[in-house]
Amino acid sequence: MHFVICAKQIPDPDTPPSAFKIDETKNEVVPAPGISPVLSQFDGIAAEAALRIKEKLGDVKITVISLGKESAQAAIKQVLAMGADEGLLLEDDAFENGDHYTTALVLSEAIKKLGDVDAIFCGRQAADWDMGQVGLGIAQLLEIPCAIIGKDVDVADGKMTVQRVLLDGFETVEMPLPSVVTVSNELGEPRYPKLQQIMQAAKKTVNKWSLADFENLEATQVGEQGRKLKLEKLFIPTSDSEVEIIEGESAQEQASALVSRLKDAKIL
Amino acid sequence: MFISEKNHKMNQSKATIYSFINFLNQYFFSFIFSTTFILVILSGLFLGIGIEQSTASRQIFFNVSPWPIYLLLSVLTGLLVFGVIRHGSLWSIGKPFHDWRINIPWRVQNTVRLGVMQDKVRRDKYASVMHWCISSSIIVLTFVTAQVAIEDDTPLHFLNGNYYLFFSFYGDLFGLIGLIGVSMALYRRYYDDFHRIRWDERIEDHLILWGLFIILISGFFVESYRISITELENFPDWAKWSFVSYVLAQFNSVFDFSEELLLDMHAISWWIHVLVVFFWLTLIVFTKLDHFLFAPINAFLLRTDSPGRLSRIENIEEQEVFGVGQIQDFNWKQLFELDACVRCGRCTEVCPANIAGQPLSPMHLIQDLKSHFNEVAPLVQEAGNNGEDVRAVATKAMVGEVIKEETLWACRTCGACVQECPVMIEHVPSIVDMRRFLVMDEAKMPQTAQAALENLEMRGHPWKGTALERTTWMEGLGDVPIFDGTQEFLYWVGCSGSLVERNLPITKKVFSLIQASGSSFGVLGQEETCNGDPARRLGNEYLYQILAEQLIDTFKQKNVQKVITNCPHCFNTFKNEYPQFDGKFEVLHHTQFLEQAINDGKLEPKKSIDLDITYHDSCYLGRINNEYDAPRNILKSIPGLNIIEMDRTMSKGLCCGAGGGNMWQEEIGARRVNHVRSEEAIDTGADELISNCPFCIQMFEDGIPSVEPNEDGRIKPFDIAEVLYQSIDSPQEDN
Repeated sequence: MHFVICAKQIPDPDTPPSAFKIDETKNEVVPAPGISPVLSQFDGIAAEAALRIKEKLGDVKITVISLGKESAQAAIKQVLAMGADEGLLLEDDAFENGDHYTTALVLSEAIKKLGDVDAIFCGRQAADWDMGQVGLGIAQLLEIPCAIIGKDVDVADGKMTVQRVLLDGFETVEMPLPSVVTVSNELGEPRYPKLQQIMQAAKKTVNKWSLADFENLEATQVGEQGRKLKLEKLFIPTSDSEVEIIEGESAQEQASALVSRLKDAKIL
Repeated sequence: MFISEKNHKMNQSKATIYSFINFLNQYFFSFIFSTTFILVILSGLFLGIGIEQSTASRQIFFNVSPWPIYLLLSVLTGLLVFGVIRHGSLWSIGKPFHDWRINIPWRVQNTVRLGVMQDKVRRDKYASVMHWCISSSIIVLTFVTAQVAIEDDTPLHFLNGNYYLFFSFYGDLFGLIGLIGVSMALYRRYYDDFHRIRWDERIEDHLILWGLFIILISGFFVESYRISITELENFPDWAKWSFVSYVLAQFNSVFDFSEELLLDMHAISWWIHVLVVFFWLTLIVFTKLDHFLFAPINAFLLRTDSPGRLSRIENIEEQEVFGVGQIQDFNWKQLFELDACVRCGRCTEVCPANIAGQPLSPMHLIQDLKSHFNEVAPLVQEAGNNGEDVRAVATKAMVGEVIKEETLWACRTCGACVQECPVMIEHVPSIVDMRRFLVMDEAKMPQTAQAALENLEMRGHPWKGTALERTTWMEGLGDVPIFDGTQEFLYWVGCSGSLVERNLPITKKVFSLIQASGSSFGVLGQEETCNGDPARRLGNEYLYQILAEQLIDTFKQKNVQKVITNCPHCFNTFKNEYPQFDGKFEVLHHTQFLEQAINDGKLEPKKSIDLDITYHDSCYLGRINNEYDAPRNILKSIPGLNIIEMDRTMSKGLCCGAGGGNMWQEEIGARRVNHVRSEEAIDTGADELISNCPFCIQMFEDGIPSVEPNEDGRIKPFDIAEVLYQSIDSPQEDN
């Protein structure tokens, strides 16, 4: 069997607020100095889901794909160290500044090009933009089923079974292979790689495909040119809060004053 | 109070006196014990000379035939040789240990001081007396017996005249001393409330003790019957020298035994004596009694570098196994140590995890490893000889089953066990070796430890989720000099000093105090990264080596020579561990720097602080780096401050609970270590709890409110720099 894990490298969500800066003229996040980008947390969990199934089934090849800059190799290596077999970086200037659609498009083309892929594992959302669209997009473009926000995934007998997290519990869905699943944090923490694996991963070469490797793709379809979503304004929201001290002689007075104040504000 | 030049000189002479007292203190017991021994012998000699020339002597073996002794002796020798070969061949399954060849003079000194003079035994005063009584008695009485053998079986004859009388005297004296020691041991073994020596009690413990008791008692009886028969009437002046047996012989005469009966009783008691002696001596091969050989040898093998230095895995990328996963992965010194353990329980008694009811007892850990070693080592050896896979022979996983994972994670690496062990076992390096296996080979660790390690890898610091930057502490301090190689000192702030809210005031105060001292210094600011200590203590040696090598490169590029740290863990890593990677820097903990600045008159604590304080020694400054004085001297230099020591203090101080990577782990067990230590601090009744380590401060900030919810008059934790700062008038102005 052949599984694909889609992994994205994102700005570190643990960046201290004081170091998080936005260039409002360019509508861009300014990379914080000295803070390296990291593998999106949910993609690590997706990798964990795929690896658990590989451990059970045995004969599974796992390819980890990332669309990004050269630095995204680090994210790929991290998943390789966890136990994936091959890495693939989709890198081209033309791919840059895309949106969820262009990302899903390039990824789906890459998966097509890989050929016999049986299951595709994505994080439920990238921890930077939190859109949660790419997994669904890949499924749509490949015209295969997709289950989102899975807390437990299994592949057996030519089927993928996913326990999906709902607001009031979970539901179990079964899909034929190939299918896409987006995995949620309820699945559990990604594994810590063994040192042997880290060193093996370090030795592995990550394949690279650029736009030229895709016959079906034009520069106008991908990256900034292919965007379907227009970013109007990027800014850090400011939140103001006012504090009002309710005065009163006794606790009782204060309480009734509070109640009338809340009624005035139409909260009660 | 103004410290003038004169005062400074006085301080120096005071320091000389203190170091002399320290020296005496360290060697006091060795000194007292050895001089007592020599004095007894000398005074005996003088007494002997003073007596009228006599023809005193005795007929050796007058009533019994000595031949069985030699038969037994050859059996015993055979057993001892067998024991040594058996043990020796099993230890050899371990990995090489080359360090014993370096620092030989220091090792010889350790052997004498720790092995022969038993300096560590003396850390328990009762055991000190007890053990000295027993061991000196055994040594002297062996000497006595050897003389009897020489007198009887060689042409040398010297047991006559005055020397014979003196010989009788000191033989009885040390027999009596031995009995005192054995009685003290019997008291502990049977009457003291569940004493630590009974935490892992075995039949051999009773055999050894009662065997010795019977040997000493029967020895006196043998002598008393001989005296009754040969000396009491004819040579009463001689008999009195054997003062204990003389009293017993007087009792014999009360019963008016016939000479035949006395002869029979002599023969019977002699046989009992001899048989029990040989039985007892064979116990050396099979029981903890082997410690009187192994303890001095282990003292010789004891590390001669700092206990704060963990071993470096050379060529880590080429290892087949990372750390210690099976018994043969230990080096032979670590295996040898297992045999040296006497189950005294001192390590467990002081272990912070054990005190808090957490799943670690260093004694049981060593004993469990020992049982596993005895079980598996012969199989490993056999498999090795047959060219089979030695890793396949153990049916139980040593790490995980024999030694539980939670046991290994509970260790604080505080070194209290190593400090106390009277046979010089080093538990901590072995525990970390097994952690290395868990983390690097098996990738198994508590979730919280994993998070800290991942954070180290991804962000270069262990504080996941911190909202602070490495430069946040600089706010409000004006121009903070960045180290550029021209300044004398690098002030190393550390991850905890810059990324944990509580520690920012400490960092600011340390900064201001260094500035006030007028020293030239700078900081690295954004360029600081973790030096790797948490990774190493948590068992990820690979990550540690990467972080350490990077930072050493940075230091060298920036021409760093002298470093001041306000974290004892950073201090220990720079001072003791970086030299393993060719990173040699002069390292000062901020308390050492500040003490020096006060001594040099560069800082003057003037303002009186009228408070009762108690001082907590962090493990990595105190026990592990032996710095107890600098912080106390600073505190003493502050007018008005009254220091109340906790019961567990200095080298016996209790860990705050954070060491060994436990700052980032959930604790498992009855209590938390920081709660126990906080209670001890509260019990002193002090207003403030002063420490020198950002981890300790955090642990107390958390621990004190948990054990004392009432805020009124509750003890507050502060770093020593915060207290000193208060006592110095606007330090910036002095600059």
